[in-house]
Amino acid sequence: MISLTDFLIVSAVLFCIGLYMIVSKHNAIQILIGIELMLNAAILNLVAFGKYDRFNNGGQMFALFAIVLAAATTAVALAIILNVYKQYKTIDPGKIDKLKD
Amino acid sequence: MPLLAFVINFSIPAKWNKVSGWASTIAILISCVLSVFVFAKVWNSNHIVHQQQLWFTIGNTKIYTGILLNNLSVLMLLLVSLIAMPVHIYSTAYMKGDENLSRYFAYLSFFCFSMLALVVVDNLILFYIFWELVGFSSYLLIGFWFTRDKAVQANKKAFIMNRIGDIGLLTAIIILFSQYHTFDITQLFADKGLIAQSVIKNGLWVAPLGSLPSIWQYIACGGIFLAVAAKSAQFPLHTWLPDAMEGPTSVSALIHAATMVAAGVFLLGRVYPLFNGLELTILAIIGCFTAFMAATIALTQNDLKRILAYSTISQLGFMIMAMGIGAYASSLFHLVTHAFFKCLLFLVAGIVIHQMAHIKDDNAMDIDPQNINNMGGLRKKLPFTFIATVIGGLALIGLPLTSGYLSKDSILIQSFEWSEGRNGVFKLIPIFALLTTWLTAFYVTRLIVKVFFGELRMLHGKPDIKLHIKDGGWQYKLPLVLLAIGCLFPLFSVNPLLYEQAWLFKGFAINGGLEREDVYHTLIPAGVNILSIIVIYVAYTIYVKRKTNIFPQEGFLYRLSFKEWYFDKIYNKVIVKPVLTLSTASFWFDREVIDGFISLLVKTGIILSKLSAWVDHHIIDGFLNLLVAIVEAISNFARKFQGGKVQYYLFSMLVIILALFILKIVF
Repeated sequence: MISLTDFLIVSAVLFCIGLYMIVSKHNAIQILIGIELMLNAAILNLVAFGKYDRFNNGGQMFALFAIVLAAATTAVALAIILNVYKQYKTIDPGKIDKLKD
Repeated sequence: MPLLAFVINFSIPAKWNKVSGWASTIAILISCVLSVFVFAKVWNSNHIVHQQQLWFTIGNTKIYTGILLNNLSVLMLLLVSLIAMPVHIYSTAYMKGDENLSRYFAYLSFFCFSMLALVVVDNLILFYIFWELVGFSSYLLIGFWFTRDKAVQANKKAFIMNRIGDIGLLTAIIILFSQYHTFDITQLFADKGLIAQSVIKNGLWVAPLGSLPSIWQYIACGGIFLAVAAKSAQFPLHTWLPDAMEGPTSVSALIHAATMVAAGVFLLGRVYPLFNGLELTILAIIGCFTAFMAATIALTQNDLKRILAYSTISQLGFMIMAMGIGAYASSLFHLVTHAFFKCLLFLVAGIVIHQMAHIKDDNAMDIDPQNINNMGGLRKKLPFTFIATVIGGLALIGLPLTSGYLSKDSILIQSFEWSEGRNGVFKLIPIFALLTTWLTAFYVTRLIVKVFFGELRMLHGKPDIKLHIKDGGWQYKLPLVLLAIGCLFPLFSVNPLLYEQAWLFKGFAINGGLEREDVYHTLIPAGVNILSIIVIYVAYTIYVKRKTNIFPQEGFLYRLSFKEWYFDKIYNKVIVKPVLTLSTASFWFDREVIDGFISLLVKTGIILSKLSAWVDHHIIDGFLNLLVAIVEAISNFARKFQGGKVQYYLFSMLVIILALFILKIVF
């Protein structure tokens, strides 16, 4: 029987992997993937806790909502990355340190 | 006036040589006329001109300056200008053609100015100043031909010797000032002046204003004597005078025969009351010794001017001796007469040397124009000069009818009177003085005979040489005539045989009662002169017959005399060598020890500074660098937060949140 704790551990591991990727990667897309991983960890938590809300299924509903939102933000982020690449010819966030036009 | 001429001569360019000579001569002529007037006014008139005004004040001591004209100073004034005038006239001819003529006359005028000022000042400080100036101008004139090495050596020697004397004079002046608190000559040395009132008792030198230990009185006298000895070329400081003959002959005549060397005797006359019995005796002994020694040296010298120089020393010795035996008047009398005849002799020597140099140049011979062994037979060529020389020579010997007779015999007679009643040693002084007189007769005859009689020896083996020498123009003759007149008796005394009647002598006669009281007064002049004539005759026969080798040329006495009693050698060994050694040693000391010490200091300093440079560089700079590095590190650390790196922001946020959580868990 898979308990709640297992879900939480998997979620925490996912979160940590995502966090590590955000901090350490030199590629904006990989960072974006890291963000997705963290988001998924959060969604996994929502779903796992939603199991205890049997009447409204609020957890699942909110998970679906979050997935849609994540897709939207990812699209926006990819567009930004594309524009950044056009501007700087790189997508390493460490090298993008100028705010000027 | 000569000062004016000096200034003029320095300001006019060298090409106006003639002008400068005449400017000086006219100046000296004017001062001569003026001094005749002054002399006529002051001499024996019992009114002593003494004008002074305040010079400066030190504390409570007021120093006055002014002029003092009494018998002594007007006499010297007259003498100096009278001697200087013929010499100036002579010089215009003698120095003609010398390219530095204007410089020569400038120096000569400068000398005359200092000398005239020396005799009239009334104050010991001014006296000292002019004393120095006289010595200095003599130095300049001895070294006038400064391209000659010997002249430079000679003037250096003269200067150093005179310096020794100057120290003595300065010491004496300082001592007198500390004793009497005045520099005024009248106050000090007048008849009832301060010196006359002071006595030595109980080892103290008591004066009206205070007392000092009596040793100071002796030191003061010693200092004065040193000054006199240096200026008047007395033993032991006489050796500069013969060397000083390197200067032009006219200078020798004026300075080193007639005037400057007399300054010493003049000083003695000024400060005469200072000396007491013992010191006067010492003066007499030294004067006598100098006179005798110089006369023996003059016997064998061959250089015309050196003979005359030694004869000058000898006569100066006479004067000092006369001072010493108390024959004050005779000493000054002799000073005056000596100035005339010695100046005459030097001018004659100048003419002879000049003509010999002409012969030498005309015939391109390699001889010394001053060596009397090369001369002879000039009597016919230079008749006028010959007569002048004979007059001068006779005056120098002291034969009757000349001025020298009057003064010299007065000294001799008084020396005999002085020695009477004293014990045996003092009897030697007049005897030596007598001997000196005869020696003088001998060497003067030798000089005259060798120069003027016989045949011209430089021409041996060259009979075909033509001689065209002559006495020279009026610039030569006029001075000789003037001086020759000064050598004869009528200028000084109506009676050619009795010195007591000379007006000059009377002017100084202090003790008055000069009776012809004892046999000395007739015996001595007669004896002296008869013997002198015999000596002259002997010398004449010896040298006319050319028996030059009649005396052994190798004997001890001959060598002693010829080498000038070895004084130069002794001084060289005793004084010059040690001084040189000392200075070499001190130079070495300076070089090795003091310089070594200093370079050691330098090295230590360099090492120390290197050390501190290292410390500075490594420790202090290091500390600063450390600070800088820390600050840089901190700022670098801080800068990262503002670096615009998103990931870094995130990371730091994470760290802080984690830290917060950890803190929350722990506490």
